[in-house]
Amino acid sequence: MTSVGVRLLLVTGRTVRQGRALESGKLQQEYMDSVAVCEVDRTTLRVLGVTDGGPVRVETIHGSVVVRCRVREGVDPGIAFMPCGPYANAVTGGHTATTGMPEFKGIDAVVLPAPGEGVPTPEELLRAQLEEGA
Amino acid sequence: MGRVICSFCGCLCDDIEVGVQDGRIVSVRNACALGRVRFLEWDRDRLRHPTVLRGGEYVQVPLSEAIDRAAEIVSSARRLLVYGLSSTENDAHREAYRLAELVGGVVDNTSSVCHGPSILAVQQSGIPVVSLAEVRNRADLVIYWGANPVAAHPRHIQRFVRAEGAFVRDRELWVVDVRRSETARVADRFVRVQPGSDLEVLSALRAIVNGHTLDVSSVGGLAMSELSELAERMQSAQYGVIFFGLGLTQTGGRHHNVDAAIRLVQDLNSHARWGLLPMRGHYNVTGANDTSTWQTGYPFAVDFARGYPRYQPGEYSAVDMLVNRECDAVVNVAADPAAHFPREAVRHLGRIPVVNIDPKKNMTSLVASVNIPAAVAGVECDGIAVRMDGLPLYLKKAVDPPPDVLPDREVLAEIYVKVAEELGR
Repeated sequence: MTSVGVRLLLVTGRTVRQGRALESGKLQQEYMDSVAVCEVDRTTLRVLGVTDGGPVRVETIHGSVVVRCRVREGVDPGIAFMPCGPYANAVTGGHTATTGMPEFKGIDAVVLPAPGEGVPTPEELLRAQLEEGA
Repeated sequence: MGRVICSFCGCLCDDIEVGVQDGRIVSVRNACALGRVRFLEWDRDRLRHPTVLRGGEYVQVPLSEAIDRAAEIVSSARRLLVYGLSSTENDAHREAYRLAELVGGVVDNTSSVCHGPSILAVQQSGIPVVSLAEVRNRADLVIYWGANPVAAHPRHIQRFVRAEGAFVRDRELWVVDVRRSETARVADRFVRVQPGSDLEVLSALRAIVNGHTLDVSSVGGLAMSELSELAERMQSAQYGVIFFGLGLTQTGGRHHNVDAAIRLVQDLNSHARWGLLPMRGHYNVTGANDTSTWQTGYPFAVDFARGYPRYQPGEYSAVDMLVNRECDAVVNVAADPAAHFPREAVRHLGRIPVVNIDPKKNMTSLVASVNIPAAVAGVECDGIAVRMDGLPLYLKKAVDPPPDVLPDREVLAEIYVKVAEELGR
């Protein structure tokens, strides 16, 4: 089955929920719920054919990850926002242009519906990345 | 306990009241949503005991054994990376620099992935700094550029921007961002720029402020008429401030964006008093830059391989050290690189031994060879931290740490002694 993806510019950043959850405990469900998210505008959600909170796959040249898709007021068409954390970093590159700073904002991404796919836990995500490096 | 400093973000709010009963924190007043969790859930999801990884399993060991194992890793490393430091107090930093120097390793703090580019820009162009007290009392135009304090520094606006100022009656608040953030929604004016065009917009504003005419109709999604109006208003301010965030440092251009902001502010100083300040995230990341500069001469990304400190972001910065597979061991202090570094860097953490010193379980604790729990600075031990505008503040101790759990500075000092013994130094 082919699925329709939407090309977006991925921006990562802080949210209050993510800030509270990371202080509370990184291995808690609340942390996962706060960061395993991709926020888009209503039109993008409709084009993807995904319900609010449904699973999507975010793909960049650096990797891909399954997260929950949410409609967010203030996110423009053409932009996807992910709270900073392990899920956003799964699709972020390590090149720093000799500054030490990776490009965490403004990453070309494709968001695809991922029906039936589960969102990995932070631990599962980490294990998968460590296996890639083994 | 009154006038406690909140050790969450770079605001270091100094008016927190913490209620303690039977050695436990039971109430918090004045803190924001993030600060409340910092205090009320300080004991949740802790690393309770030192553990070492044996045969794929974490085994609980006495602290002395964990220190021995950590020292073994450090002393046998050929290229050690000491990383973190921004969420602990200044005395712990000193011990981290001593350890890196002892073994000719590299020491970097989390600013390499937040405001490191701002430091590069400041080293190039200087910075017309302001203090937060000045902002509160004098500024009549405050601009958040690529920053979202409502999410990351929830009391910043309330304490310094919307607060009553001694010498200012009306104050305008603008937000410049690529999206209508929570902060944009409470601002007097929201200026939306196209993603990746901050450098162009800042440069266009500079050109207008300097009296040049640009032969284009728009820059970065803003019409020239709007840019001209913005520039005019900025020049007519009595006291203007730009607070800039990771929207400038984490996009393409990085330090060039910040450099353009600094130069705009320098230009505006021909017309009015203007200053700017980075919105520092971790509560003591400013302190990490300060202590690193005092001790090594450089604010981050410092290498001791030649026996004296050398500085090279892009080479001795943590992400590059990991992506280039240059380090063969990591000592992580009060940070979580496994959660906050790009996957290419995380992969290398799995290939090398990691000593993780942190109060709480985190993703790095799942990959570490040794986990050593530490006291929560500003809650379970005292120390000094530095506010985003450079003001050092004394962190109080509110409750005792769990039994056998030491502050970062003591854990690092014990590892140092062991490593020095092993190396005969």
